[in-house]
Amino acid sequence: MTKQLRVGLVSFAHVHAPSLAATLGALEQVEFTGIHDDDEKRGRAAASAHGTTWHPTLEGLLRASEAIVIASTNADHRRYTEAAAKARVHVLCEKPLATTTADAKAMIAACRSATVQLGTAFPVRGSPAVMALKEAIAAGALGRIRAVRATNPGQYPGSWFGDKRLAGGGAAMDHTVHAADAIRWLLADEFARVHAELGSFIYGLEVEDCGVLTCDLAGGAFASIDCSWSRPQTFPTWGGVTLHVVGEKATVDIDVFRQALTHYDDTAGRTRLLGWGDDLTARMVADFVDAILAGRPVPITGEDGLHALEVAIAAYRSSESGRPVAITDLRA
Amino acid sequence: MPLRIGVLGAGFAGAMHAHSALRIDGVQVAAVAALPLDQAAALAKECGARVASAEEICAADDIDLVVVATPTHLHAQYAILAATSGKHVFCEKPLARTLADAQAMVRACDDAGVALAVGHVVRYFKEYQRAKQLLDDGTLGRPAIATLVRGNFAVGSAREWYLDAAKSGGVVLDLMLHDLDTVRWWFGEPSRVYARRFTGSGGLEYALATIRYEDRPIVQVEASWAEHAGFRTGYELRGDRGMLVHDSRAASPIALQSPAGPAGPAMMATPTLHETPYLVQLRDVIARIARGDRPLVDGHEGLRTLALGLAVIRSADTGEVVDWKAPA
Repeated sequence: MTKQLRVGLVSFAHVHAPSLAATLGALEQVEFTGIHDDDEKRGRAAASAHGTTWHPTLEGLLRASEAIVIASTNADHRRYTEAAAKARVHVLCEKPLATTTADAKAMIAACRSATVQLGTAFPVRGSPAVMALKEAIAAGALGRIRAVRATNPGQYPGSWFGDKRLAGGGAAMDHTVHAADAIRWLLADEFARVHAELGSFIYGLEVEDCGVLTCDLAGGAFASIDCSWSRPQTFPTWGGVTLHVVGEKATVDIDVFRQALTHYDDTAGRTRLLGWGDDLTARMVADFVDAILAGRPVPITGEDGLHALEVAIAAYRSSESGRPVAITDLRA
Repeated sequence: MPLRIGVLGAGFAGAMHAHSALRIDGVQVAAVAALPLDQAAALAKECGARVASAEEICAADDIDLVVVATPTHLHAQYAILAATSGKHVFCEKPLARTLADAQAMVRACDDAGVALAVGHVVRYFKEYQRAKQLLDDGTLGRPAIATLVRGNFAVGSAREWYLDAAKSGGVVLDLMLHDLDTVRWWFGEPSRVYARRFTGSGGLEYALATIRYEDRPIVQVEASWAEHAGFRTGYELRGDRGMLVHDSRAASPIALQSPAGPAGPAMMATPTLHETPYLVQLRDVIARIARGDRPLVDGHEGLRTLALGLAVIRSADTGEVVDWKAPA
């Protein structure tokens, strides 16, 4: 019988919670220990829908688990992570890792001192196309990489995502980190300087719904990230992730979710894209679980989450000051 | 009496304008110039025109309109020469390599009372005109965020002056300028600019600019000479009531493939419009001159777009945000 890791899910606040719960229920190397949620009604409904145990207390779920996946609001990541670390439970945390770099650092420190592992949920790294590009860049097939234009535009997710207190910001907090992590990983480089233009133009929110970041990497390349919630409600899918990578020997375009059928649906009165590509959530959770089971470092760490978050935080500083911001200035 | 045109330059733009002129009633291509002069022979023959030096064309009695399609850094000297001889001027974009040159051209044409039209041809592209219309009639709502992309393969060593930034202004003035003009046309005058770019070997060059309006929108513009599959344009235009998407790679009504592959012989033309935007542009330039109207994109307008391109270059060179105000 396959060795299993006992994994629980904390909170159903995040839009990714249903796919995470389905994944925990389906992976053979996972024993899904159940769900806890501060919102009892939401948590009970989720546990019932996914055929798993409802835990009325966080402590109960932590006692039953060796690892948890956190799918709460961004602002709650820190307290759930610290509680898990205290209970010696590993953590895979939704992105962004936290709403402030101080919180992210505290989460990393708490897990380190408890000798549990902290992972950040960046599924884009598991895309076969992105992995192929990583190999090609490492092998020198593209030559030196000079520029990247990344986009992660989406529909406005609604609920707490537009609440600055719970989300830590708007589109820039929500969508910068996926692209930032992919760029760091692909180029094996770090962000050094960030310029951003942000605006709240579409939904009348207190937070920004549009943004473009233009960044310098330490190794000399530059990269832009469109993090906007710019997809209209009539758009045929939630959004997407694209990378336009310009090397001295070749240019590569990646559209992570391009594998999709076009469904002209008369019943719904609209057109939708039905993705059929690999399940990136399942791969991400499996990679995390396999590392814990094998006693290896998890592939995407809390530090990775922190570095991606720094790019988003720098974007807010840049937008406020009207100038590019050095990442080192955030750490001062 | 036909309107008589002298074409300066027999490269891509010069040939395009000369060929367009052949299709316009009441227009005659009288002379073609190139450097060296013999490079004008083939185009002149096709047009039934004589070969003459640029200086001769600018001074000739039988020329009404001089089309300046030389390398960018030579625009000013010939446009000014033509204007002082009383010729109307239709100048390729960018209007000039420097703001001072552009200002001198505008002044010379204004003083001589001749028209100065600038070849910002994207204003004659239907897919860009349609966006302008949907912005202006409110269909898209207030513009929030837009992305405009334009790319081509690196020119390599084929056209030396392209690779010399002092002559062409590189990918920003040559390629991105189309979209910078479009951004001004669609949204008006922006307030600040931030840009990055790199230059590689063999003509590889790539630039990204973020153009910010005081309130809205935010606009990102990409210009690439690293698009090895060939020329492409595209935009995404998001207003608060909808989004408009254009992708030239998905817009051709005809595609040809043969066992010989992409390097095989061209077996048929692949037209996509009965009249190219270049032909529509030249016809409009000539019609406005005949009526005594200002060109759609006149020297003042071309100068402002050039200034925005120079602001993008300044930001890319310094790594700082450049506040921008349109020159008067």
